[in-house]
Amino acid sequence: MDLNQPRLRVKEKMSKINFSGLKKFTVMFVLLFLMALFSFASPYFLTWRNLTNIIIQNTYFIIVAIGLSFVMMGGGIDLSVGYQMSLVGVVTAMAMMVYHLPVWLAVLIGILLGTTLGLINGLIVTSIKIFPLIATLATATVYQGISYMISKANTFRGYPEEFLVLTKGKVLGIPLDVLITLFVIILVGFVFSESVFGFRLIALGGNEEASRLSGINTRKIKISIYTICGFFTAVATMVMISKSNTTNSSFGPGTEFIALTAAIVGGVSFMGGEGNIPSLVAGVFLLAILGNGMQLAGWGTYAQFIVRGTILLGAVAFDEYQRSQKSKIRTKY
Amino acid sequence: MDTEYIVEMKGICKSFGGVQALRNVDLELRRGEIMGMVGDNGAGKSTLMKILSGAYLADEGEIYIDGVKAHIQNPHDAFNLGIGMIYQDLALFNNLDVARNIFIGRELVRGPFKLLMDKKNMYKRAEEVIRDLRVDIKSPKMNVARMSGGQRQMVACARAIAFESKVLIMDEPTAALGVTEANKLLGLIRNLKDMGLSILLITQRIPDILSIADRVFVLKGGQRQDILEVSKVSLDDVVTMIVKGKDHNGNQTPEVDYKSFG
Repeated sequence: MDLNQPRLRVKEKMSKINFSGLKKFTVMFVLLFLMALFSFASPYFLTWRNLTNIIIQNTYFIIVAIGLSFVMMGGGIDLSVGYQMSLVGVVTAMAMMVYHLPVWLAVLIGILLGTTLGLINGLIVTSIKIFPLIATLATATVYQGISYMISKANTFRGYPEEFLVLTKGKVLGIPLDVLITLFVIILVGFVFSESVFGFRLIALGGNEEASRLSGINTRKIKISIYTICGFFTAVATMVMISKSNTTNSSFGPGTEFIALTAAIVGGVSFMGGEGNIPSLVAGVFLLAILGNGMQLAGWGTYAQFIVRGTILLGAVAFDEYQRSQKSKIRTKY
Repeated sequence: MDTEYIVEMKGICKSFGGVQALRNVDLELRRGEIMGMVGDNGAGKSTLMKILSGAYLADEGEIYIDGVKAHIQNPHDAFNLGIGMIYQDLALFNNLDVARNIFIGRELVRGPFKLLMDKKNMYKRAEEVIRDLRVDIKSPKMNVARMSGGQRQMVACARAIAFESKVLIMDEPTAALGVTEANKLLGLIRNLKDMGLSILLITQRIPDILSIADRVFVLKGGQRQDILEVSKVSLDDVVTMIVKGKDHNGNQTPEVDYKSFG
């Protein structure tokens, strides 16, 4: 009798599991598991107030993560988003508080600035042809430096009421920033699944050289995705500084890590070409619930960093495992 | 314009840095013929074909399609002129299904400003192409990452001919295939010829060329040696031409006879 037979059968069955289908729902299952876990650990976790707080506090993370997903699905990376937020934040705040420009004009300047910073990233990545990781790490430092130079390390607070409406205003009882986030989720989900641009972007992330040989202008798409990322980062910045009613140059940095982790946990492949918006949003909430739940359960705030880092490592390892499975299937034939 | 040749390449030169890959190469492809492209490694076969498909730009030379001078600056220009190419690595997208692989770069569109994909018609048309090719692909929704080498080759084929292509270039299509799958592919190439396509077939397997091609184009060191009529040459003649080439007067150097093995 071959004692290895049952083990081999299990292995065979395992190899038949469609992991890409499983991956789509993994983040949802983990999210539900964490909610169940924290509801036992703390009686305050599963209350309406706490859950709505989690949603309201994370709107700008979702918008940044969605912006970043354009770049990541196209096979790139943008480590500068947090520092873009720092620069856009202080420029918008100074336009309102120091130069006393009308709120609409200050917001417009901020959005245009963010879009331009994204465009600069795109131009650098495509023109100098260096790794996006290094290129955006360099621009991140530059953006932060400019932010501190402009703000002179000052803090700006007490924005005009018209600007605070962005987060304090409600439509049908729903905060305006939640509605903006919902609109962004639906719009971008539609772009990825229905538009020619979304299709070409996913193809570019899957195989850049094949995209070029298919007649796609890969440079144009690459520049576009960094620019779009800059635009959404600027929108998120408006929500962030309106929510806090204050800003300085240290507001923003660190967001890139949460957005990146959420995107990867939400199934956006680190190597590009894969991902979907509902899972990405679930990824943001997974990290948020983890932080909130650990705090309520009294497991310590600092432990969150360890857990977040471990989750990022686990998600990247899972992504890599899936890729190796796919290539194994191809070699088998 | 109704000329004898569907493709004419005249005086094509191409260098990569200090390396001259092609020197003053002429090529004429007749309508509805299969032309084998042979030569040693580095002879310039793939480079010449990549110039025709728009992947590379020639340093010098002219290209005529249907007797009209063509300006092929990129792969999109070549597609628009009815030239499709299947690259050696197939250039497929493992993250996409069959239909999306076929239509990438030439999507069927709908809606305002043609910004949206007409997915329904794309899948319908992909199914038709697969059916016309009579290949073993069950559904256009299959992911190519999970396909066999032969099936992936068929997808690349479907992509190259899905848009009323007139000329199909195939770069080493049988190189990674087993005997059965290679034979199936050669059958498919014959079908494509019957459908009216003119085919340029790069391969190292000379017996394949002798079994399906009408003529053989021989390149050596980036220079055209000759175009041979398959019905008038043997395997040994082709091998000899590949290895020795021609002398300055255009005659084959006679002192050594190369024999093929097997």
